[in-house]
Amino acid sequence: MKLICADLDGPLPVIPPRAVGAQWVLVRLHGHPIGIVHPPSAGCGPAELRRLAIEQHALAIARHVAGDRLDSPCESESSTLLAQKCPRRRVESRASLTVVVCTRNRAATLRGCLDAIEALDYPADLLEVVIVDNAPTDAATQVLVARYPRMRYVCEPRPGLDWARNCGALAARGEIVAYTDDDVLVDRGWASAIARAFEEEPHAMCVTGLVLPEELDTPAQLLFEQYGGFGRGFDRHVFCVGAGESAALHYGGTGRFGTGANMAFRRTFFEAHGLFDPALDVGTPANGGGDLEMFFRVFKSGYALVYEPAATVRHCHRRTYAELKTQIANNGVGFFTYLMRTAQAYPEERRDIFRLAAWWLWWWNLRRLLHAAINPREFPIDLILAELRGSLSGLRRYAAARRHAAGVLARFGAPTAWRAAG
Amino acid sequence: MRRPGDYRIAIRMIDLGRPLEPIVDVTEYPRTRVFVREAGTLLGSVDIGNAYGPISATRLRDMVTNALTGVLIKRSAEGVAAPAASSVVAPDVAVSIVIPTCNRPDDLRRCLAAVEGQRGTRPLEVIVVDNRPGPSSPTAAVAREFERVVLLEEAKPGLSYARNAGFAAAAGEILVAIDDDVTVPPGWLERLVAPFASPEVMAVTGDVLPIEIEWWSQYQFEAYGGLGKGFTPFEVDGDWFHAKRSAVPTWTLGATANAAFRAGIFTHPEIGMLDEALGAGTPTGCSEDTYLFYRILKQNGTIVYEPAAWVWHRHRTDAAALRDQIYSYSKGHVAYHLTTLLRDGDTRALIRLGYSLPRALAWRAWMRLRRRSDYPLSLILLEIAGTLAGPWALWQSRRRARRLGPGARRSLSHAVSLEGRVTETSAA
Repeated sequence: MKLICADLDGPLPVIPPRAVGAQWVLVRLHGHPIGIVHPPSAGCGPAELRRLAIEQHALAIARHVAGDRLDSPCESESSTLLAQKCPRRRVESRASLTVVVCTRNRAATLRGCLDAIEALDYPADLLEVVIVDNAPTDAATQVLVARYPRMRYVCEPRPGLDWARNCGALAARGEIVAYTDDDVLVDRGWASAIARAFEEEPHAMCVTGLVLPEELDTPAQLLFEQYGGFGRGFDRHVFCVGAGESAALHYGGTGRFGTGANMAFRRTFFEAHGLFDPALDVGTPANGGGDLEMFFRVFKSGYALVYEPAATVRHCHRRTYAELKTQIANNGVGFFTYLMRTAQAYPEERRDIFRLAAWWLWWWNLRRLLHAAINPREFPIDLILAELRGSLSGLRRYAAARRHAAGVLARFGAPTAWRAAG
Repeated sequence: MRRPGDYRIAIRMIDLGRPLEPIVDVTEYPRTRVFVREAGTLLGSVDIGNAYGPISATRLRDMVTNALTGVLIKRSAEGVAAPAASSVVAPDVAVSIVIPTCNRPDDLRRCLAAVEGQRGTRPLEVIVVDNRPGPSSPTAAVAREFERVVLLEEAKPGLSYARNAGFAAAAGEILVAIDDDVTVPPGWLERLVAPFASPEVMAVTGDVLPIEIEWWSQYQFEAYGGLGKGFTPFEVDGDWFHAKRSAVPTWTLGATANAAFRAGIFTHPEIGMLDEALGAGTPTGCSEDTYLFYRILKQNGTIVYEPAAWVWHRHRTDAAALRDQIYSYSKGHVAYHLTTLLRDGDTRALIRLGYSLPRALAWRAWMRLRRRSDYPLSLILLEIAGTLAGPWALWQSRRRARRLGPGARRSLSHAVSLEGRVTETSAA
């Protein structure tokens, strides 16, 4: 079952019946995501879908329409509420944008990702696509990318996701560097939404967006959404550290601002504040946290991060329970390694980082463990335990991760045009 | 200027009649309070944590629609419905604005400049009452800068004495009370006077918004509750007055910092002038206006709160003045309830004084101790002290008022009847 998109201002689709898993329908208005509708398992017709959408999302629709009226107060009186044309004034960005996809030995999955990028509606003269092949063991990726004449293939021999991300950033020519993963399908308007958000918020250095599940067929995929998923809601937010707020305490839990599968930065930010820390994320003992660390660096540098749900992508969650368990355990490892890295990099934040770590261990790991112990059906207890174990081991992994990165550096040498990553 | 615990809030106002523009001149401020108006009505406000950055039009739109969804939907519905015919106050009904002042020439000058801008076709009289007259008083010089301003002197100290002197001398059919530290926006007077088109309306109050939040004391005064009474217009009358089980919350109706009265109430035998034992400058400190509202409602008069007739108020900038003010408010609040109990035999005051007021104070202290609010404990203790001092303050005030004798009274000869001839019906 693939995610179905239903545009309220166009003809609504028929939802087929389903045998397994869950079917989500993304409701959009004027191209903006409004919310998710869960149709009955027997499927439903357009009329029923419309009824469900309005019943569940009337407030979000009303807010969107009210926002339209604020943007063009004079002309909106005569138009019907769900008119085809969105009366919002569009900020059209003319910024050049580079899409970076980091991949490793997954040519079959990558094909869908590249097809979706090929279909982006961003002006071709402003768009650049860089595929970073990370320490490949075969040439399948290179062969696949060769079929897309507008895409550039770059090989990064140093194993590790953050090495690949840095390689992409250094290869990028665009003012905006937008990252996505090889198991992600980007929305047609994804790049335009990112560029628009940067245009609208000049003090933003990072834009993240909505990540929805591409399919919810297996119990593991459903569990991942129950766990929290990657989506961060349908409201646009501008985050920055306010007066009287502690960067670490209030903004250290950067997982709530987005994820590496859908994030974009101004290239100038990398130039001024360094690249991703190669000791972090997949392929290192840290197994994650590279994206979280960069989000925190944006806050710590005094810039804003925009969560723009209109920049929508779809992610193929892990299908099996074993994969899910590894992923959740790695979340714990990655987050706590990132915290320890941050405590090391910013001594003045150390106290607040430890307070955050202690609070997170209690609030997220132990409290949920207690809940699951009382009511085992709420969430599988072994997943919570796996994350707890990961979190505890993450507390002391950063040194090993640094040694690992140093080893990679010794073996392969520094990348050309290397700028220290902090 | 980035510093921890920066409490300053930039104040901006946007008009929804025009397309939204980004707010770019707030990069010195951690937070911005945006007041939202449309075609002369005040819809609400939204606080934006801009963290020393500009606010884009998109963010502004999202914040406004999320904060004011209900209001905006109501406005759309109103746009669909055909406008109803409404009555207006006849253009020849005279209005007098009474501004008591006491040695604050800069505030007074700012205030008078804005008030003079209200002059239209309607006959308008502006009366400044100097409450500390004498050779060294700077008030006369400021008043002389404005040709058409009438200057009165009231030597008996006390805001109620001063305002009564102004009300007694005023020639208008509608008497407006404002303070010398407010700034009135264009069009304010007509919006404040408009509800008098209904003959049962005896008083109209308007909203009082902070013109700036630059100082600790201004921030805390807003945290205390400020002077604003919200963005929803309402109307209360004798039914509301009598239906209340606990004390009538007249302090939620507004204040004489921005209020208008039908002149007839001041010669009404059961309403009369402001109580000179209450109000600023006396030991009770305030509540002369709430007690006047009380008596109006008791006589079945209607009071209208019209947020669209807002004024800007500059809160005191030094901490000592803030403490004085909060202490006075607490004293005056108790004095008000005791006055309704002793003068009017209103036993509902006992419920307020014996139960709901202590509970409200305890709740504030409890929230502070649980760190659910950042309102300083010292100010809460000050409120408690003021509450305890209230009865003593009232007794002192009464003695003082007896010693000074009654102030100016409006003579029956130029009294206007309660009904007046203030209305004329027309299609809006």
